[in-house]
Amino acid sequence: MKKKILSVLLCTAMIASLAVGCGGKEETTEESNSSDGKTKLTFWCHENEPWIKSYEAMAAKYEEANPEYEIEVVSYPFNVYTEKIQTALTASTAGPDIIAVWGGMAPAYIESDALAPVPEDLAEDIKADYMEPAIGVYQKEGQLYGVAMEYNLEYGGMIVNKTLFDEAGIEYPTTWEDLRKVSQEVSETDGNVSVMEGFEMMDSDSLICNYLAMILQQGGQYLTEDGSVNFATPEGVKALEEVLSMVDNGETDLENLTNGEYCFNDVYQGKGYMASVGSWGIGEGEAYDLTFGEDYEYVPVPQYGDQMAFAAETGWGIMVPKNGANVDAAWDFIKFFVDADNLVEHNIACNQLPPRKSMLTNEKYIEAMPNVTFLLDILPDGQWMGPYNTSAMREIFNNMFIDLCQQGKDSRDVEGALTTASEKITSECKMSYSME
Amino acid sequence: MKNNRFVAAVLIPGFLFIFVFIVFPVLYGLGISLFQYNPANSENVFLGLANYKRMLNDDVFWIALKNTIFFGTVALILNLVITLFLAEIISHLPSKRWKTFFRTVLFIPCIAPVVGTSMVWKHGFIATDGIINQVLKFFGLPAQNWYLLTWPMLVIIAVFTLWADLGYNVVLFSAGVENIPKEFEEAAALDGASAFQRFLHIKLPLMGRTFVFVAIMTMADYFQMFTQFKIFAADGGRNNAAMVLTNYIYNKSFRDFDMGYASALSMGLFVVVFTIAMIQNRLMRIDWGYE
Repeated sequence: MKKKILSVLLCTAMIASLAVGCGGKEETTEESNSSDGKTKLTFWCHENEPWIKSYEAMAAKYEEANPEYEIEVVSYPFNVYTEKIQTALTASTAGPDIIAVWGGMAPAYIESDALAPVPEDLAEDIKADYMEPAIGVYQKEGQLYGVAMEYNLEYGGMIVNKTLFDEAGIEYPTTWEDLRKVSQEVSETDGNVSVMEGFEMMDSDSLICNYLAMILQQGGQYLTEDGSVNFATPEGVKALEEVLSMVDNGETDLENLTNGEYCFNDVYQGKGYMASVGSWGIGEGEAYDLTFGEDYEYVPVPQYGDQMAFAAETGWGIMVPKNGANVDAAWDFIKFFVDADNLVEHNIACNQLPPRKSMLTNEKYIEAMPNVTFLLDILPDGQWMGPYNTSAMREIFNNMFIDLCQQGKDSRDVEGALTTASEKITSECKMSYSME
Repeated sequence: MKNNRFVAAVLIPGFLFIFVFIVFPVLYGLGISLFQYNPANSENVFLGLANYKRMLNDDVFWIALKNTIFFGTVALILNLVITLFLAEIISHLPSKRWKTFFRTVLFIPCIAPVVGTSMVWKHGFIATDGIINQVLKFFGLPAQNWYLLTWPMLVIIAVFTLWADLGYNVVLFSAGVENIPKEFEEAAALDGASAFQRFLHIKLPLMGRTFVFVAIMTMADYFQMFTQFKIFAADGGRNNAAMVLTNYIYNKSFRDFDMGYASALSMGLFVVVFTIAMIQNRLMRIDWGYE
């Protein structure tokens, strides 16, 4: 009898779990108001001091122009941020009204039905003025579900250790041939480890971004007409052989690619001369007590092919949960945020590149960010990386690359490896929904 | 009757706690594992046992399972052997002050957060300019990128785990050793038993209950180790050589947002740990007392 009662209890609990875990959600339109009658909007972001300050400044500016609103900026450590957002989207009444998200995280939320679509007028403005990579990932079935705050570029610039260059009496390279020559001259190895690295691009972000740029700069393409990925083209093979030769020659090693760190840290630590990184890497030098202009600089990565071209992922953007209490008010704030006159202040404060075409000649931005203006010239030449989970894409590509590096030069089948990786990426990493 | 009420009053809150925070989440996870689950969706597609079929055909799952069992078993055995040995050595120290000193020293890594000590090991020991490569250099050997190696990464993580975790079991075994009445050992010594024989045939059997407790708790802990794997080899290392089930579950749920499949993997881990705990419990059954 006792066993029967226990069985019934367990079955009831299991059914309750299924019902609660997998059932529908109630929607709410209840508005959240603060005690002084103002409508309160909650803005969630990850912990990053300059970014939080910029969000708070934008919130204060909006409150000044719209005194009926109060905006609270709430930040979380990045390593728990994803889980926080998931939990908030699951709840029947969301915690945040506005969520800042990394473009790589966005598809997981967009593929659900938990987000409010971008209002039509804002969507039209975005489609008309935003550059393609800055829209990319926020689309689903012709509708936009988020608005980028930046143009995310991992290609085009490199941190150079000025002190090392000055001591060696070498100029910064300006052509690809010069880059390889300098890289070979200055690098030193011990076993399969670099003691001093020349040009570095072997980390999980830089490798694939530089590689894709090298394909595109030869006039090649890795995205086929049917939307699949194919690296095994003559341009793809040639580009990969060039990259492999950097490791074979001992100009760089695979440490950062295998331990998950960034190459530019080596340059800041005096263990490397040059490292490819997005403009966001400039500010990281301060963590090493280095001064921009004295100890290090940010200069263009010499172009590999005949034409400027590269691929970029969609960067940080803003979304509105459908179950928020103030969806319309949240979008009004976002419209204010991404207005060119306001967005430029955020991009400057966060060392970001502007996502709008109309901002490429923005005097305020150029005056405030003289070190990255060379990137503004190339931004229109970029294409979106494609409708793929780029984290999973990187993992497959990087593993293939490490395997090739560990094989002998003569026993490598570069084209075969690229074919296998392309097929794997196409079958495993493509987004589950259509963009159009 | 009054006694029954007292027992119920004491036990029911505890059982409620266990039900809400342990039994319910397990059942909830079981429910989720039958769906293509995204918590942000208002409706989730029912898949039946499809996630379990996928799991059985997933090469990475089998690698992670093999690594989890290997790590759990080897690290558990080494932990038990080393901690028993250390506890026995410490019990023979002449002064209480020295005993306390060594127990404290061994316990210090247990107090430090694993995420912090893992980072120190990662950057201090196995980085290309870390201590291990400096030692190799001292002996005229070339430096290594340790992340390019496969099975040594699992060994490095096992060594780190032993270092970080020994102190706890040393304290438990020390308590067990100290509680054994001295008369038994003295009698065996008079009969001519060596120190090793006395330990093996007198102390170890008499520490049975402590041993079973430590073995089962350490096993359950080691099969669910996560932090050091996330720090040392977030993506599982070369060819998933250091991928364990907990890390794979995390990657599937919070990197790939494949919650339904991750729940099925969690059920797989639950079954493995439960089965091993049952086997351990049966093999180590103790049915005696000092009385």
